[in-house]
Amino acid sequence: MIQSFLGASFAGAFAAAILHSPACAQMTHQHASEAACEGTELRCATKVTPTFAPDGTLWLAWMAGGRVSVASSKDAGQTLSSPVPVTTQQLSLDWGPDARPKLVVDRKGGIALAFSIFRDQSFNGQVLFTRSEDGGKSFAPPRPITANNESQRFEALALDEDGTVFAAWLDKRNRVPAKEAGKSYDGAALFFASSRDGGASYTEATMAQDNTCECCRLGIAFAGRGHPVVVFRNIFDGGVRDHAITTFKDLATSGEIYRVSTDDWQIKACPHHGPSLSISPGGVYHVAWYTNGKARKGLFYAQSRDGGRSFSEPMAIGQADHNPGRPYVLAAGGLTTMVWKEFDGDKTVIMLMQSRDDGQSWSTPKMIASTVDSSDHPLLVANGSQVYLSWMTKADGYRFQPIGDQT
Amino acid sequence: MKGYPTCAAGAGLLVALGIGLLAVSSFAAPSPLKPFERGSWREVLRAHAGRPTLVHFWGVTCGPCKLELPELGKFMKDHPGIDVVTISADLVPNLPDATQAMLDKAGLASAENFVFGDGYVERLRFEIDPSWQGDIPRTMLIGRDGAISTIEGTADRSDLDKWSAGQGARP
Repeated sequence: MIQSFLGASFAGAFAAAILHSPACAQMTHQHASEAACEGTELRCATKVTPTFAPDGTLWLAWMAGGRVSVASSKDAGQTLSSPVPVTTQQLSLDWGPDARPKLVVDRKGGIALAFSIFRDQSFNGQVLFTRSEDGGKSFAPPRPITANNESQRFEALALDEDGTVFAAWLDKRNRVPAKEAGKSYDGAALFFASSRDGGASYTEATMAQDNTCECCRLGIAFAGRGHPVVVFRNIFDGGVRDHAITTFKDLATSGEIYRVSTDDWQIKACPHHGPSLSISPGGVYHVAWYTNGKARKGLFYAQSRDGGRSFSEPMAIGQADHNPGRPYVLAAGGLTTMVWKEFDGDKTVIMLMQSRDDGQSWSTPKMIASTVDSSDHPLLVANGSQVYLSWMTKADGYRFQPIGDQT
Repeated sequence: MKGYPTCAAGAGLLVALGIGLLAVSSFAAPSPLKPFERGSWREVLRAHAGRPTLVHFWGVTCGPCKLELPELGKFMKDHPGIDVVTISADLVPNLPDATQAMLDKAGLASAENFVFGDGYVERLRFEIDPSWQGDIPRTMLIGRDGAISTIEGTADRSDLDKWSAGQGARP
Protein backbone atom coordinates (compact mmCIF):
# COMPACT_ATOMS: atom_id res chain seq x y z
CA MET A 1 0.00 0.00 0.00
CA ILE A 2 2.77 2.37 0.91
CA GLN A 3 4.71 1.73 -2.25
CA SER A 4 1.70 2.40 -4.38
CA PHE A 5 1.07 5.73 -2.72
CA LEU A 6 4.27 7.52 -3.52
CA GLY A 7 6.64 4.94 -4.85
CA ALA A 8 9.69 3.56 -3.09
CA SER A 9 10.93 6.91 -1.90
CA PHE A 10 7.72 7.43 0.01
CA ALA A 11 8.87 5.03 2.71
CA GLY A 12 11.06 7.71 4.24
CA ALA A 13 8.32 10.26 4.06
CA PHE A 14 5.88 7.90 5.67
CA ALA A 15 8.35 7.20 8.44
CA ALA A 16 8.67 10.90 9.07
CA ALA A 17 4.91 11.20 9.05
CA ILE A 18 4.59 8.54 11.72
CA LEU A 19 7.25 10.14 13.85
CA HIS A 20 5.48 13.47 13.71
CA SER A 21 2.04 12.13 14.39
CA PRO A 22 0.10 13.61 17.31
CA ALA A 23 0.59 10.45 19.34
CA CYS A 24 4.34 10.69 18.99
CA ALA A 25 4.35 14.41 19.62
CA GLN A 26 3.24 13.71 23.19
CA MET A 27 6.41 11.71 23.69
CA THR A 28 8.69 14.40 22.42
CA HIS A 29 8.57 18.05 23.34
CA GLN A 30 6.04 20.78 23.33
CA HIS A 31 7.18 23.76 21.36
CA ALA A 32 6.00 27.15 20.30
CA SER A 33 4.33 27.25 16.95
CA GLU A 34 3.97 29.63 14.08
CA ALA A 35 0.47 28.24 13.67
CA ALA A 36 -2.58 29.42 15.56
CA CYS A 37 -3.80 25.84 16.05
CA GLU A 38 -2.84 22.24 15.36
CA GLY A 39 -5.60 21.30 12.91
CA THR A 40 -5.59 21.14 9.14
CA GLU A 41 -8.03 23.98 8.57
CA LEU A 42 -7.06 27.29 7.00
CA ARG A 43 -6.87 29.21 10.28
CA CYS A 44 -4.17 26.78 11.45
CA ALA A 45 -2.04 27.30 8.35
CA THR A 46 1.49 28.65 8.36
CA LYS A 47 1.79 29.03 4.59
CA VAL A 48 -1.02 29.90 2.18
CA THR A 49 -0.58 30.21 -1.58
CA PRO A 50 -3.27 31.78 -3.80
CA THR A 51 -3.91 31.63 -7.52
CA PHE A 52 -6.78 32.64 -9.75
CA ALA A 53 -8.16 30.25 -12.35
CA PRO A 54 -8.89 31.66 -15.80
CA ASP A 55 -12.60 31.67 -14.90
CA GLY A 56 -11.95 33.99 -11.94
CA THR A 57 -12.19 31.35 -9.23
CA LEU A 58 -9.72 31.91 -6.41
CA TRP A 59 -7.86 28.79 -5.32
CA LEU A 60 -5.88 28.52 -2.09
CA ALA A 61 -3.39 25.83 -1.14
CA TRP A 62 -2.14 25.74 2.42
CA MET A 63 0.04 23.84 4.87
CA ALA A 64 -1.55 23.05 8.22
CA GLY A 65 -1.34 20.15 10.59
CA GLY A 66 1.15 18.31 8.38
CA ARG A 67 -1.15 18.33 5.39
CA VAL A 68 -1.64 20.29 2.20
CA SER A 69 -5.24 21.30 1.57
CA VAL A 70 -7.01 23.36 -1.06
CA ALA A 71 -10.24 25.32 -1.22
CA SER A 72 -11.78 27.69 -3.72
CA SER A 73 -13.77 30.87 -3.67
CA LYS A 74 -16.14 32.35 -6.23
CA ASP A 75 -16.29 35.71 -4.43
CA ALA A 76 -12.62 36.67 -4.12
CA GLY A 77 -12.06 35.04 -0.78
CA GLN A 78 -15.15 36.14 1.12
CA THR A 79 -16.44 32.60 1.30
CA LEU A 80 -14.50 29.39 0.75
CA SER A 81 -15.53 25.95 -0.38
CA SER A 82 -15.05 22.99 1.94
CA PRO A 83 -11.34 22.18 2.14
CA VAL A 84 -10.09 19.20 0.17
CA PRO A 85 -7.04 17.35 1.47
CA VAL A 86 -4.33 16.97 -1.14
CA THR A 87 -2.44 14.58 1.10
CA THR A 88 -4.34 12.03 3.13
CA GLN A 89 -1.39 11.21 5.38
CA GLN A 90 0.27 13.61 7.77
CA LEU A 91 3.62 14.40 6.18
CA SER A 92 6.81 16.05 7.32
CA LEU A 93 6.22 19.04 5.09
CA ASP A 94 9.12 21.35 4.34
CA TRP A 95 8.55 24.11 6.88
CA GLY A 96 11.56 26.20 5.87
CA PRO A 97 10.96 29.95 5.68
CA ASP A 98 10.81 30.01 1.89
CA ALA A 99 8.86 26.78 1.38
CA ARG A 100 5.16 26.66 0.49
CA PRO A 101 2.82 24.62 -1.71
CA LYS A 102 2.47 25.84 -5.32
CA LEU A 103 -0.49 25.49 -7.64
CA VAL A 104 -1.63 26.56 -11.08
CA VAL A 105 -5.07 26.12 -12.65
CA ASP A 106 -5.54 25.69 -16.39
CA ARG A 107 -8.41 26.68 -18.66
CA LYS A 108 -10.03 23.27 -18.31
CA GLY A 109 -10.10 23.62 -14.53
CA GLY A 110 -7.29 21.13 -14.03
CA ILE A 111 -5.11 21.89 -11.01
CA ALA A 112 -1.39 21.15 -10.94
CA LEU A 113 0.11 21.29 -7.47
CA ALA A 114 3.59 20.71 -6.05
CA PHE A 115 5.14 20.84 -2.60
CA SER A 116 8.19 19.60 -0.72
CA ILE A 117 8.60 17.23 2.17
CA PHE A 118 11.52 16.34 4.39
CA ARG A 119 11.98 12.70 3.52
CA ASP A 120 14.50 11.73 6.19
CA GLN A 121 15.94 12.82 9.52
CA SER A 122 18.79 14.63 7.78
CA PHE A 123 16.14 16.95 6.35
CA ASN A 124 16.80 15.99 2.78
CA GLY A 125 13.93 17.28 0.73
CA GLN A 126 11.76 15.78 -1.95
CA VAL A 127 9.54 17.61 -4.40
CA LEU A 128 6.17 15.93 -4.91
CA PHE A 129 3.52 16.79 -7.47
CA THR A 130 -0.10 15.93 -7.95
CA ARG A 131 -3.04 16.92 -10.14
CA SER A 132 -6.77 17.24 -9.84
CA GLU A 133 -8.84 16.50 -12.91
CA ASP A 134 -12.23 16.94 -11.27
CA GLY A 135 -12.14 20.62 -10.38
CA GLY A 136 -10.36 20.18 -7.08
CA LYS A 137 -12.70 17.53 -5.66
CA SER A 138 -9.84 15.05 -5.39
CA PHE A 139 -6.14 14.79 -6.11
CA ALA A 140 -4.03 12.00 -7.50
CA PRO A 141 -1.55 10.39 -5.09
CA PRO A 142 1.50 12.70 -4.91
CA ARG A 143 4.55 11.47 -6.79
CA PRO A 144 8.20 12.56 -6.84
CA ILE A 145 8.93 15.03 -9.63
CA THR A 146 12.21 13.26 -10.35
CA ALA A 147 13.44 9.72 -9.84
CA ASN A 148 16.68 11.04 -8.40
CA ASN A 149 16.80 10.55 -4.67
CA GLU A 150 19.07 13.40 -3.62
CA SER A 151 17.64 16.40 -1.83
CA GLN A 152 15.26 18.69 -3.73
CA ARG A 153 13.45 21.73 -2.40
CA PHE A 154 12.02 25.12 -3.35
CA GLU A 155 9.95 24.08 -6.33
CA ALA A 156 8.18 26.70 -8.41
CA LEU A 157 5.35 26.26 -10.92
CA ALA A 158 4.23 28.45 -13.79
CA LEU A 159 1.57 27.96 -16.43
CA ASP A 160 2.27 28.66 -20.10
CA GLU A 161 -0.39 30.13 -22.38
CA ASP A 162 -1.03 26.73 -23.97
CA GLY A 163 -1.53 25.00 -20.62
CA THR A 164 1.97 23.56 -20.33
CA VAL A 165 3.10 23.46 -16.71
CA PHE A 166 6.71 24.47 -16.12
CA ALA A 167 8.44 23.43 -12.90
CA ALA A 168 11.81 24.48 -11.52
CA TRP A 169 13.47 23.55 -8.25
CA LEU A 170 16.79 23.37 -6.39
CA ASP A 171 18.43 19.96 -6.50
CA LYS A 172 21.49 18.59 -4.71
CA ARG A 173 22.16 15.55 -6.93
CA ASN A 174 25.51 16.91 -8.13
CA ARG A 175 27.06 16.77 -4.68
CA VAL A 176 27.31 12.98 -4.98
CA PRO A 177 29.71 12.79 -7.93
CA ALA A 178 31.64 15.73 -6.50
CA LYS A 179 32.08 13.92 -3.20
CA GLU A 180 33.10 10.72 -4.97
CA ALA A 181 35.72 12.71 -6.85
CA GLY A 182 37.00 14.17 -3.61
CA LYS A 183 35.87 17.65 -4.57
CA SER A 184 33.92 20.13 -2.53
CA TYR A 185 30.47 21.08 -3.73
CA ASP A 186 28.75 24.34 -2.96
CA GLY A 187 25.01 24.83 -2.81
CA ALA A 188 22.66 23.05 -5.18
CA ALA A 189 21.63 23.21 -8.83
CA LEU A 190 18.67 24.73 -10.63
CA PHE A 191 16.72 21.95 -12.32
CA PHE A 192 13.56 22.10 -14.40
CA ALA A 193 10.94 19.97 -16.13
CA SER A 194 7.66 20.57 -17.91
CA SER A 195 4.32 18.88 -18.27
CA ARG A 196 2.15 18.86 -21.36
CA ASP A 197 -0.62 16.92 -19.67
CA GLY A 198 -1.55 19.54 -17.12
CA GLY A 199 0.78 18.35 -14.40
CA ALA A 200 -0.07 14.64 -14.56
CA SER A 201 3.51 13.80 -15.57
CA TYR A 202 6.72 15.74 -16.11
CA THR A 203 9.63 15.46 -18.51
CA GLU A 204 12.96 14.24 -17.29
CA ALA A 205 14.69 16.71 -15.00
CA THR A 206 17.29 18.90 -16.69
CA MET A 207 19.86 21.16 -15.12
CA ALA A 208 19.87 24.86 -15.95
CA GLN A 209 22.66 26.00 -13.63
CA ASP A 210 24.95 24.30 -11.15
CA ASN A 211 26.12 25.70 -7.81
CA THR A 212 23.22 27.89 -6.90
CA CYS A 213 22.29 28.85 -3.37
CA GLU A 214 20.40 25.93 -1.84
CA CYS A 215 17.89 27.51 0.49
CA CYS A 216 16.04 30.39 -1.19
CA ARG A 217 12.78 30.41 -3.10
CA LEU A 218 12.81 30.92 -6.85
CA GLY A 219 11.10 33.70 -8.75
CA ILE A 220 9.34 32.47 -11.89
CA ALA A 221 7.29 34.00 -14.72
CA PHE A 222 6.75 33.67 -18.45
CA ALA A 223 8.17 36.09 -21.03
CA GLY A 224 5.81 35.04 -23.75
CA ARG A 225 4.68 31.60 -24.81
CA GLY A 226 7.37 28.94 -24.41
CA HIS A 227 9.83 31.17 -22.56
CA PRO A 228 9.87 30.70 -18.79
CA VAL A 229 12.13 32.99 -16.81
CA VAL A 230 13.67 32.04 -13.47
CA VAL A 231 15.46 34.36 -11.05
CA PHE A 232 17.47 32.70 -8.30
CA ARG A 233 20.20 33.33 -5.78
CA ASN A 234 23.30 32.06 -7.50
CA ILE A 235 26.76 31.32 -6.13
CA PHE A 236 29.21 33.40 -8.14
CA ASP A 237 33.00 33.11 -7.94
CA GLY A 238 34.33 33.51 -4.45
CA GLY A 239 31.18 32.21 -2.80
CA VAL A 240 29.21 35.37 -3.60
CA ARG A 241 25.47 34.68 -3.31
CA ASP A 242 24.01 37.33 -5.61
CA HIS A 243 21.01 36.99 -7.89
CA ALA A 244 21.00 35.66 -11.44
CA ILE A 245 18.33 35.23 -14.08
CA THR A 246 17.80 33.05 -17.12
CA THR A 247 15.24 33.33 -19.89
CA PHE A 248 14.60 29.92 -21.41
CA LYS A 249 14.97 29.56 -25.17
CA ASP A 250 12.17 27.03 -25.03
CA LEU A 251 10.65 24.77 -22.41
CA ALA A 252 13.55 22.33 -22.72
CA THR A 253 16.46 24.75 -23.12
CA SER A 254 17.68 27.21 -20.54
CA GLY A 255 19.21 30.47 -21.68
CA GLU A 256 22.23 32.54 -20.79
CA ILE A 257 22.74 33.33 -17.14
CA TYR A 258 22.79 37.05 -16.42
CA ARG A 259 23.54 38.78 -13.14
CA VAL A 260 20.73 40.90 -11.72
CA SER A 261 22.96 42.90 -9.42
CA THR A 262 26.50 42.88 -8.07
CA ASP A 263 25.81 43.09 -4.36
CA ASP A 264 28.90 41.11 -3.39
CA TRP A 265 27.27 39.08 -0.62
CA GLN A 266 30.02 36.61 0.09
CA ILE A 267 28.56 34.23 2.61
CA LYS A 268 28.57 30.51 3.21
CA ALA A 269 25.16 30.34 4.73
CA CYS A 270 21.49 29.87 4.08
CA PRO A 271 19.89 33.29 3.65
CA HIS A 272 16.41 31.67 3.55
CA HIS A 273 15.35 34.74 1.60
CA GLY A 274 14.62 34.36 -2.09
CA PRO A 275 13.68 36.84 -4.83
CA SER A 276 10.47 37.79 -6.58
CA LEU A 277 9.92 38.19 -10.33
CA SER A 278 7.12 39.53 -12.49
CA ILE A 279 7.07 40.34 -16.20
CA SER A 280 4.71 43.03 -17.44
CA PRO A 281 2.67 42.79 -20.65
CA GLY A 282 5.21 45.18 -22.12
CA GLY A 283 7.99 42.70 -21.46
CA VAL A 284 9.68 44.56 -18.60
CA TYR A 285 11.26 42.23 -16.03
CA HIS A 286 10.67 43.36 -12.44
CA VAL A 287 12.85 41.78 -9.75
CA ALA A 288 12.95 42.40 -5.99
CA TRP A 289 15.43 40.78 -3.61
CA TYR A 290 17.23 40.87 -0.29
CA THR A 291 20.98 41.09 0.15
CA ASN A 292 23.48 41.82 2.84
CA GLY A 293 26.45 42.33 0.53
CA LYS A 294 29.43 44.61 0.70
CA ALA A 295 28.06 46.76 -2.12
CA ARG A 296 24.58 47.14 -0.65
CA LYS A 297 22.50 45.84 2.22
CA GLY A 298 18.75 45.50 2.51
CA LEU A 299 15.84 45.13 0.14
CA PHE A 300 16.18 46.18 -3.49
CA TYR A 301 14.31 46.42 -6.76
CA ALA A 302 15.53 46.60 -10.35
CA GLN A 303 13.99 46.26 -13.78
CA SER A 304 15.20 44.97 -17.12
CA ARG A 305 13.96 46.29 -20.46
CA ASP A 306 16.12 44.03 -22.59
CA GLY A 307 14.83 40.61 -21.67
CA GLY A 308 16.90 40.18 -18.54
CA ARG A 309 20.31 40.90 -20.05
CA SER A 310 20.86 44.02 -17.99
CA PHE A 311 19.12 45.61 -15.05
CA SER A 312 18.61 49.12 -13.78
CA GLU A 313 20.56 50.44 -10.82
CA PRO A 314 19.13 48.72 -7.72
CA MET A 315 16.65 50.84 -5.83
CA ALA A 316 16.53 50.50 -2.05
CA ILE A 317 13.12 49.56 -0.66
CA GLY A 318 11.72 50.24 2.79
CA GLN A 319 13.02 51.72 5.99
CA ALA A 320 16.49 50.37 6.63
CA ASP A 321 15.99 50.46 10.42
CA HIS A 322 12.75 48.46 10.15
CA ASN A 323 14.32 45.33 8.72
CA PRO A 324 12.54 45.30 5.33
CA GLY A 325 12.27 41.86 3.79
CA ARG A 326 10.16 39.26 1.94
CA PRO A 327 9.45 41.31 -1.19
CA TYR A 328 6.82 40.39 -3.75
CA VAL A 329 6.31 42.21 -7.03
CA LEU A 330 3.46 41.82 -9.52
CA ALA A 331 2.78 43.63 -12.79
CA ALA A 332 -0.94 43.53 -13.58
CA GLY A 333 -3.75 45.85 -14.52
CA GLY A 334 -1.47 48.59 -15.78
CA LEU A 335 0.26 48.84 -12.43
CA THR A 336 3.37 47.31 -10.95
CA THR A 337 2.69 46.58 -7.30
CA MET A 338 5.26 45.69 -4.67
CA VAL A 339 4.74 44.62 -1.07
CA TRP A 340 7.19 43.69 1.65
CA LYS A 341 7.42 43.18 5.39
CA GLU A 342 8.83 45.55 7.96
CA PHE A 343 9.22 45.07 11.70
CA ASP A 344 9.50 47.81 14.30
CA GLY A 345 10.38 45.70 17.32
CA ASP A 346 6.78 45.06 18.21
CA LYS A 347 4.61 44.59 15.15
CA THR A 348 5.04 43.34 11.61
CA VAL A 349 3.58 45.52 8.87
CA ILE A 350 3.03 45.03 5.15
CA MET A 351 4.19 47.98 3.12
CA LEU A 352 3.02 48.75 -0.40
CA MET A 353 4.17 50.90 -3.29
CA GLN A 354 3.05 51.01 -6.90
CA SER A 355 4.32 52.19 -10.26
CA ARG A 356 2.22 53.42 -13.16
CA ASP A 357 5.15 53.50 -15.62
CA ASP A 358 6.45 49.93 -15.51
CA GLY A 359 8.83 50.51 -12.62
CA GLN A 360 10.46 53.81 -13.55
CA SER A 361 8.87 55.75 -10.70
CA TRP A 362 7.08 54.59 -7.58
CA SER A 363 4.47 55.86 -5.15
CA THR A 364 5.33 56.71 -1.57
CA PRO A 365 5.33 53.50 0.51
CA LYS A 366 2.28 53.02 2.74
CA MET A 367 1.24 50.45 5.30
CA ILE A 368 -1.67 48.25 4.25
CA ALA A 369 -1.73 45.55 6.97
CA SER A 370 -0.15 44.66 10.29
CA THR A 371 -0.02 41.93 12.89
CA VAL A 372 1.59 41.33 16.27
CA ASP A 373 2.60 37.68 15.95
CA SER A 374 4.19 35.38 13.39
CA SER A 375 3.12 35.59 9.78
CA ASP A 376 3.69 34.17 6.32
CA HIS A 377 5.40 36.13 3.58
CA PRO A 378 3.09 38.63 1.83
CA LEU A 379 2.04 37.52 -1.66
CA LEU A 380 0.25 39.29 -4.51
CA VAL A 381 -2.16 37.69 -6.94
CA ALA A 382 -4.24 39.16 -9.76
CA ASN A 383 -7.61 38.38 -11.23
CA GLY A 384 -7.42 40.28 -14.48
CA SER A 385 -6.59 43.83 -13.49
CA GLN A 386 -7.55 43.49 -9.81
CA VAL A 387 -4.59 42.84 -7.51
CA TYR A 388 -4.98 41.30 -4.06
CA LEU A 389 -2.73 40.89 -1.03
CA SER A 390 -2.60 37.35 0.35
CA TRP A 391 -1.18 37.16 3.86
CA MET A 392 -1.52 34.42 6.49
CA THR A 393 -1.09 35.60 10.07
CA LYS A 394 -1.20 33.69 13.32
CA ALA A 395 -3.02 36.34 15.31
CA ASP A 396 -5.44 37.63 12.69
CA GLY A 397 -5.99 34.63 10.44
CA TYR A 398 -5.86 34.67 6.66
CA ARG A 399 -6.14 38.04 5.00
CA PHE A 400 -7.11 38.44 1.35
CA GLN A 401 -7.63 42.07 0.53
CA PRO A 402 -8.01 44.03 -2.71
CA ILE A 403 -5.35 46.63 -3.29
CA GLY A 404 -6.55 48.74 -6.19
CA ASP A 405 -4.74 51.80 -7.46
CA GLN A 406 -3.11 53.48 -4.46
CA THR A 407 -0.66 55.65 -6.37
CA MET B 1 -6.75 5.33 6.16
CA LYS B 2 -8.58 7.27 8.81
CA GLY B 3 -6.82 8.83 11.76
CA TYR B 4 -3.12 8.69 12.51
CA PRO B 5 -0.97 5.63 13.17
CA THR B 6 -0.04 5.24 16.80
CA CYS B 7 3.56 5.49 17.95
CA ALA B 8 3.73 1.78 18.74
CA ALA B 9 2.20 0.76 15.47
CA GLY B 10 4.39 3.24 13.70
CA ALA B 11 7.55 1.95 15.33
CA GLY B 12 6.62 -1.57 14.36
CA LEU B 13 6.05 -0.54 10.82
CA LEU B 14 9.34 1.32 10.77
CA VAL B 15 11.15 -1.80 11.86
CA ALA B 16 9.28 -3.71 9.21
CA LEU B 17 10.46 -1.16 6.71
CA GLY B 18 14.01 -1.63 7.88
CA ILE B 19 14.43 1.92 9.11
CA GLY B 20 14.21 1.35 12.82
CA LEU B 21 17.13 3.65 13.52
CA LEU B 22 14.91 6.57 12.75
CA ALA B 23 12.58 5.54 15.50
CA VAL B 24 15.33 5.04 18.07
CA SER B 25 16.68 8.54 17.64
CA SER B 26 13.26 10.11 17.62
CA PHE B 27 12.17 8.62 20.90
CA ALA B 28 15.17 9.87 22.86
CA ALA B 29 14.85 11.14 26.42
CA PRO B 30 13.75 14.74 26.94
CA SER B 31 16.52 17.13 25.97
CA PRO B 32 18.02 19.84 28.13
CA LEU B 33 17.45 22.39 25.39
CA LYS B 34 16.34 25.73 26.72
CA PRO B 35 13.59 27.66 24.97
CA PHE B 36 14.83 30.93 23.54
CA GLU B 37 12.02 33.39 24.07
CA ARG B 38 11.36 37.09 24.35
CA GLY B 39 13.96 38.51 26.76
CA SER B 40 16.25 35.47 26.49
CA TRP B 41 18.92 37.43 24.62
CA ARG B 42 19.16 40.01 27.38
CA GLU B 43 19.47 37.16 29.88
CA VAL B 44 22.24 35.48 27.87
CA LEU B 45 24.19 38.74 27.79
CA ARG B 46 23.66 39.21 31.54
CA ALA B 47 24.58 35.66 32.46
CA HIS B 48 27.85 35.75 30.51
CA ALA B 49 28.84 39.33 31.23
CA GLY B 50 32.58 39.65 31.77
CA ARG B 51 33.30 36.28 30.17
CA PRO B 52 34.34 35.76 26.56
CA THR B 53 31.37 34.07 24.93
CA LEU B 54 30.77 32.57 21.52
CA VAL B 55 27.11 32.50 20.51
CA HIS B 56 26.32 30.37 17.47
CA PHE B 57 23.05 30.51 15.55
CA TRP B 58 22.21 27.52 13.39
CA GLY B 59 19.38 25.26 12.25
CA VAL B 60 18.73 21.60 11.53
CA THR B 61 17.78 22.16 7.89
CA CYS B 62 20.78 24.36 7.09
CA GLY B 63 23.43 22.54 5.05
CA PRO B 64 26.40 24.79 5.92
CA CYS B 65 25.39 24.56 9.59
CA LYS B 66 25.68 20.78 9.56
CA LEU B 67 29.23 21.05 8.31
CA GLU B 68 30.23 23.77 10.76
CA LEU B 69 28.71 22.36 13.93
CA PRO B 70 31.37 19.64 14.52
CA GLU B 71 34.10 22.25 14.00
CA LEU B 72 32.49 24.32 16.70
CA GLY B 73 32.46 21.28 18.96
CA LYS B 74 36.22 20.94 18.48
CA PHE B 75 36.68 24.63 19.19
CA MET B 76 34.77 24.32 22.46
CA LYS B 77 36.87 21.33 23.49
CA ASP B 78 40.08 23.20 22.68
CA HIS B 79 39.02 26.43 24.41
CA PRO B 80 37.56 25.66 27.83
CA GLY B 81 37.94 29.32 28.78
CA ILE B 82 35.34 30.39 26.24
CA ASP B 83 31.65 30.10 27.06
CA VAL B 84 29.84 28.50 24.11
CA VAL B 85 26.15 29.11 23.56
CA THR B 86 24.22 27.66 20.64
CA ILE B 87 20.80 28.84 19.51
CA SER B 88 18.81 26.84 16.98
CA ALA B 89 17.18 29.65 15.04
CA ASP B 90 15.26 27.79 12.38
CA LEU B 91 11.63 28.57 12.22
CA VAL B 92 9.70 26.44 14.66
CA PRO B 93 8.78 23.53 14.88
CA ASN B 94 12.58 23.18 15.18
CA LEU B 95 12.27 19.54 16.23
CA PRO B 96 14.09 19.47 19.58
CA ASP B 97 15.06 15.81 19.24
CA ALA B 98 16.80 16.39 15.92
CA THR B 99 18.41 19.53 17.33
CA GLN B 100 19.75 17.70 20.37
CA ALA B 101 20.95 14.77 18.28
CA MET B 102 22.98 17.04 16.04
CA LEU B 103 24.43 18.89 19.02
CA ASP B 104 25.38 15.60 20.69
CA LYS B 105 27.02 14.31 17.53
CA ALA B 106 28.96 17.56 17.14
CA GLY B 107 30.35 17.40 20.68
CA LEU B 108 28.27 20.33 21.85
CA ALA B 109 26.05 18.58 24.38
CA SER B 110 27.72 20.39 27.25
CA ALA B 111 27.35 23.83 25.70
CA GLU B 112 24.49 26.06 26.76
CA ASN B 113 21.97 25.14 24.10
CA PHE B 114 18.81 26.99 23.18
CA VAL B 115 16.14 26.47 20.57
CA PHE B 116 13.82 29.24 19.37
CA GLY B 117 10.70 28.85 21.47
CA ASP B 118 8.55 31.61 20.06
CA GLY B 119 6.93 31.46 16.64
CA TYR B 120 7.30 35.23 16.31
CA VAL B 121 10.85 34.91 15.05
CA GLU B 122 10.99 38.47 13.74
CA ARG B 123 10.79 39.70 17.33
CA LEU B 124 13.39 37.26 18.61
CA ARG B 125 15.82 38.21 15.86
CA PHE B 126 15.14 41.90 16.36
CA GLU B 127 16.15 41.66 20.02
CA ILE B 128 19.44 40.06 19.01
CA ASP B 129 20.25 42.23 15.99
CA PRO B 130 17.62 44.48 14.38
CA SER B 131 19.22 44.03 10.97
CA TRP B 132 19.33 40.23 11.05
CA GLN B 133 16.93 38.65 8.54
CA GLY B 134 17.50 35.08 9.69
CA ASP B 135 20.41 33.82 7.62
CA ILE B 136 22.29 30.99 9.33
CA PRO B 137 24.89 29.97 10.38
CA ARG B 138 25.83 33.12 12.23
CA THR B 139 28.28 33.55 15.08
CA MET B 140 28.50 36.38 17.57
CA LEU B 141 31.70 36.81 19.56
CA ILE B 142 31.16 38.66 22.82
CA GLY B 143 34.32 39.90 24.47
CA ARG B 144 35.06 40.34 28.15
CA ASP B 145 34.33 44.03 27.66
CA GLY B 146 30.97 43.27 26.07
CA ALA B 147 32.10 44.19 22.58
CA ILE B 148 30.25 42.07 20.00
CA SER B 149 31.54 41.12 16.59
CA THR B 150 29.34 39.15 14.21
CA ILE B 151 30.47 36.55 11.68
CA GLU B 152 27.92 35.89 8.94
CA GLY B 153 28.02 32.42 7.48
CA THR B 154 30.51 29.74 8.32
CA ALA B 155 33.24 31.03 10.63
CA ASP B 156 36.92 30.39 9.93
CA ARG B 157 38.52 28.45 12.74
CA SER B 158 41.57 30.71 12.52
CA ASP B 159 39.41 33.76 13.17
CA LEU B 160 37.88 32.11 16.23
CA ASP B 161 41.30 31.10 17.56
CA LYS B 162 42.60 34.61 17.03
CA TRP B 163 39.63 36.14 18.85
CA SER B 164 40.01 33.65 21.68
CA ALA B 165 43.69 34.48 22.05
CA GLY B 166 42.77 38.16 22.17
CA GLN B 167 40.47 37.42 25.08
CA GLY B 168 43.31 35.85 27.03
CA ALA B 169 41.56 32.51 26.99
CA ARG B 170 43.62 29.34 27.21
CA PRO B 171 44.02 27.76 23.74
